[in-house]
Amino acid sequence: MRDRDLREGGSRPSGFSRRSFLKGASVAAVGTGLATEALADAAPTDGLIREDGVTTVPKGALEITLRVNGEDVAVTVEPRTTLLDALRDRAGLTGTKKVCDRGACGACTLLLDGKPANSCLTLAWDAVGREITTIEGLADGENLHPVQQAFVECDALQCGFCTPGMVMSSVACLQKHATPTPEQIRHELSGNICRCGTYGRVFEAVANAAKNGGGR
Amino acid sequence: MNAFELSLPDTLADAARKAGPNSAFKAAGIDLIDRLKERIDDPETVVDLLRLRDELGGIQATANGAVRLGALTTLQELADATALDAPGFGALREACGEAATPQVRARATLGGNLLQKNRCWYYRSNAFSCAHDGSGDRCLAWHGENKFHALFGTVDCVRVHPSNAAPALVALGAEVEIRGADADSSRRIPIRALYPQSPAARAPEHVLADEEILVAVHLPASAAAGRSAYRESREKLSFDWATTAAAAHLVVEGGKIARASVCLGAVAPNPWPLDDVAERITGQTPSRELFADAARRAFRRAQPLRHNAYKVEVGQAILVDALAAAAGLED
Ligand SMILES: Cc1cc2nc3c(=O)[nH]c(=O)nc-3n(C[C@H](O)[C@H](O)[C@H](O)COP(=O)(O)OP(=O)(O)OC[C@H]3O[C@@H](n4cnc5c(N)ncnc54)[C@H](O)[C@@H]3O)c2cc1C
Ligand code: FES
Ligand code: FES
Repeated sequence: MRDRDLREGGSRPSGFSRRSFLKGASVAAVGTGLATEALADAAPTDGLIREDGVTTVPKGALEITLRVNGEDVAVTVEPRTTLLDALRDRAGLTGTKKVCDRGACGACTLLLDGKPANSCLTLAWDAVGREITTIEGLADGENLHPVQQAFVECDALQCGFCTPGMVMSSVACLQKHATPTPEQIRHELSGNICRCGTYGRVFEAVANAAKNGGGR
Repeated sequence: MNAFELSLPDTLADAARKAGPNSAFKAAGIDLIDRLKERIDDPETVVDLLRLRDELGGIQATANGAVRLGALTTLQELADATALDAPGFGALREACGEAATPQVRARATLGGNLLQKNRCWYYRSNAFSCAHDGSGDRCLAWHGENKFHALFGTVDCVRVHPSNAAPALVALGAEVEIRGADADSSRRIPIRALYPQSPAARAPEHVLADEEILVAVHLPASAAAGRSAYRESREKLSFDWATTAAAAHLVVEGGKIARASVCLGAVAPNPWPLDDVAERITGQTPSRELFADAARRAFRRAQPLRHNAYKVEVGQAILVDALAAAAGLED
């Protein structure tokens, strides 16, 4: 049953065709997740195993399409590949940082369907059919997002390694509370750790961004 | 993390059929992926439940006032749920709203929260042996670093149950709906019975068989009455696992406690119900003194380890706070 070629290492570049995948992704966007019927069309020729109401993604690498910052990005991933590794190592989007790799620091924060997520504890496959927004997707050309602008103006970073995650959580905060109280800012940023201890400036930046329409 | 195959079932029935001794279910995967990365678990197949929203999602209030919480409901959805607006449900909303971080709450599911594995550092690190996972024959935490470990109910392993939601749901008298390999194997059990009666080192942390799926949590209509509250202590205020936690549900009528239900978290291998405290305060006039006395008695049976005696003091204060809030005595 199982496609041996794909088991280890997954040398076949595009086991799971972009076309059939997009079909799945577009269904998912309207519905409740990746529609498995759509996957069924892709198996077995596309490397998925289809039997008795279960579609199985074998151990090797397959190409999937992720919707990142409004664009389709093809990445070759194994079932175990995290969204963080898929973005950094496969898609070349290294703005999202890896620090603890265990959900505890927030460096890898991005938005999944508009909500904050630790991409280090999210499988790439679980992001299929969902809108992924990373730090690279915030600016509008040369124009920084109001939150980014506020971070610059408030000098809200030292080494900068936590900053992409901080910015993404700040954006999520302002989407939830257009004019947040100091307590709300702290609460919504509580999943992000800054080892340089720049919290004061970060909180200030979020408050300033709120005044400048950061919750757009 | 070792390689695994990922199974995407069409329905709950397919998911249950696909599961077996070498598989693991995955909801959001926050706990599971952590364990896979540490190589504490090494399933051949991960069976995905996250896409089964139709069968496992949603919050539904029924006409008689009971509420069904689908297993895939996220902690943030529970914290914000209008169906849980009644003050009687407060403990659950607070427990979920305080758990973990915004990023975790936005994805973590109720089912995964109730079935997550303990956080003992010896268990979580594969650099150490552990009696619980069978890699060793002794609980290293018992005589080792045990600052975050149990005060109550241990057999030969001092792990604590880490879930925020569990003690709140115990206090609210919730039931859990479970589905096995075939539809007629479905059963509903009180949430207390989800956890092993004797939480020995080798006992699994919950009673579900490999192919059993937690489908939903049911809150009885009686839970909406009165008021409930959840309070926890932790080392770090921004976010952290609870060092002690307490959930209390009280119905006060004519100035007296007519009904009480209390449960501690983070102090025992299972959520730790305090039925004797509930009994003692029922019929009494709520006051901080009454609650302090009840808390003192409850913690008399604590068996602190070398590094966790602080939990006895802190736990009493947290319990009094939860009871006072549930009685409306706060502020
Ligand atoms: C930084 C951090 C801080 C945290 N702090 C807290 C905290 O303060 N309080 C707290 O309570 N939690 C805390 N957590 C834990 C977090 O809440 C849990 O990991 C999460 O709830 C698990 O849900 P999940 O959907 O990701 O489950 P998964 O990881 O997908 O699953 C967890 C386990 O349950 C099984 N499972 C899941 N759903 C089902 C089902 N429906 N039927 C059968 N089996 C199932 C899986 O097989 C797995 O063994 C924290 C986590 C992190 C990373
Ligand atoms: S790298 Fe994901 S939370 Fe730390
Ligand atoms: S600026 Fe250095 S970690 Fe935050």
